Amino acid sequence: MPHLNRVAAGKGDLTDPKQRISEAEAIERAKQGDEAAFEILYQLHKRRVYSLCLRMVSNPSQAEDLAQEAFLQLFRKIGTFRGESAFSTWLHRMTVNVVLMQLRKKGLPSVSLEETLESDDEAPRKEFGADDVKLSGAIERMQLKRAIDKLPPGYKTVFVLHDVEGFEHNEIAQIVGCSIGNSKSQLHKARLKLRDYLKSMRAEKAKTG
Amino acid sequence: MTCTDVQQALPDLIDGSEDAEFQSHLKSCPLCAELVADLNLIVGEARELAESEEPPARVWVQISNQLRSEGIIRDTETVPGRPVLVPAPARRWNAWWLAPVAAAVIAAGAYQLIPRKTAAEPPQVAQQQAGHVAQPDANQQATQGPEVAHPPQGTQSAATAKPSGQLAQDRASAPASNPAQSAAGHPQLAGNARIEREISPPPSAEDQRFLTQVSERTPGMRTTYESQLRAVNGEISETQLYIQRHPGDQDARQHLLEVYQQKTMLYQMALDHIQ
Repeated sequence: MPHLNRVAAGKGDLTDPKQRISEAEAIERAKQGDEAAFEILYQLHKRRVYSLCLRMVSNPSQAEDLAQEAFLQLFRKIGTFRGESAFSTWLHRMTVNVVLMQLRKKGLPSVSLEETLESDDEAPRKEFGADDVKLSGAIERMQLKRAIDKLPPGYKTVFVLHDVEGFEHNEIAQIVGCSIGNSKSQLHKARLKLRDYLKSMRAEKAKTG
Repeated sequence: MTCTDVQQALPDLIDGSEDAEFQSHLKSCPLCAELVADLNLIVGEARELAESEEPPARVWVQISNQLRSEGIIRDTETVPGRPVLVPAPARRWNAWWLAPVAAAVIAAGAYQLIPRKTAAEPPQVAQQQAGHVAQPDANQQATQGPEVAHPPQGTQSAATAKPSGQLAQDRASAPASNPAQSAAGHPQLAGNARIEREISPPPSAEDQRFLTQVSERTPGMRTTYESQLRAVNGEISETQLYIQRHPGDQDARQHLLEVYQQKTMLYQMALDHIQ
């Protein structure tokens, strides 16, 4: 930068993209309080964390607060990270815990998946493929986001954790406190409901043009 | 295996099952095959959402401020091996042009809220508003700003956007993990993929000028602002494309205004840092 005189010392400036450092090195520097190292870790993982929060709460402002809290909790504890698991896994789990804790504080039924079990009358329609509207071919991302936002909290939790974030059913069962079978069942119902929502959206668009 | 059997077994079979009876039934039953294809399509698209959202720049600012207040981020002098940045005597730097550009961005976004039957026209409101911007003081040492703040590139037709951006690269490189997603079998998917590659336009002249000023004044923040701009411009283009196909969707128009507001806040944050 033309108007700055940089006195290079030690390992150099972490914010310089030409200075390549590994995530492990950034973690070690962050343990020493290096702001640039913290920022590198934030930049590496911010999209994953924020996307997870936004999918779960459907509110950008709330998602910002949750993402901020997840990173703060992580950075406060970074001194204890010993590398037994991947840093991203650690952050991922912490983010999920922050979000679920927030949902529990609000008293939303996503805490207990059993509460989202619907009666047979309310369950997603069992007939399928009977509509004239076809879904296969393409799904617009915005429509999918809006459909996910409409899901009941319990369905949304399992769908986001499994299909968006890639958690396995045994992990979901441990995180939210349900059985593996329940997790699979809720996921299937969530997908069926999303299919219905997406078909409805497509039918509505076809009508309005 | 009957359709009822398939439905009951789907929670266990849908995720990549090679159960022979299940596969055999799908080959013979178009309804079940369509259901399974739809569900696989939803799953495949859902994976793309994992890193689809970009948090506003203020999130990092708030995190770093909090970490500093808690003493977790320490002063550079106490961290061994840190370079010392010695700023030259500050030259007079003026970001007078940022404010009207930010206003033009909001105006362009507000214009998008007006429902129109045809595709979006160039926002004359933004150009007229920008035309009333005060002209620079000839004695100022600032880099000359724009004479008229034109609407940001994100308001142009997506058809003119050039393929660029991390979002487009991610979408183009994502492997098709399911036959239902194969572009070869679904021309509309291939078309969508092409459109996706076009939805992350390069920075406009105003954005480039903005980034140059950020680089000169707060060099450490350039990368942050650059990625934020890329993300918000991509979101603007994607939403505009959606509105072109669904002009009656008021929710989408509202969303577009909100994204424009995000971009304005980005400019405003830089202004706050600079002044």
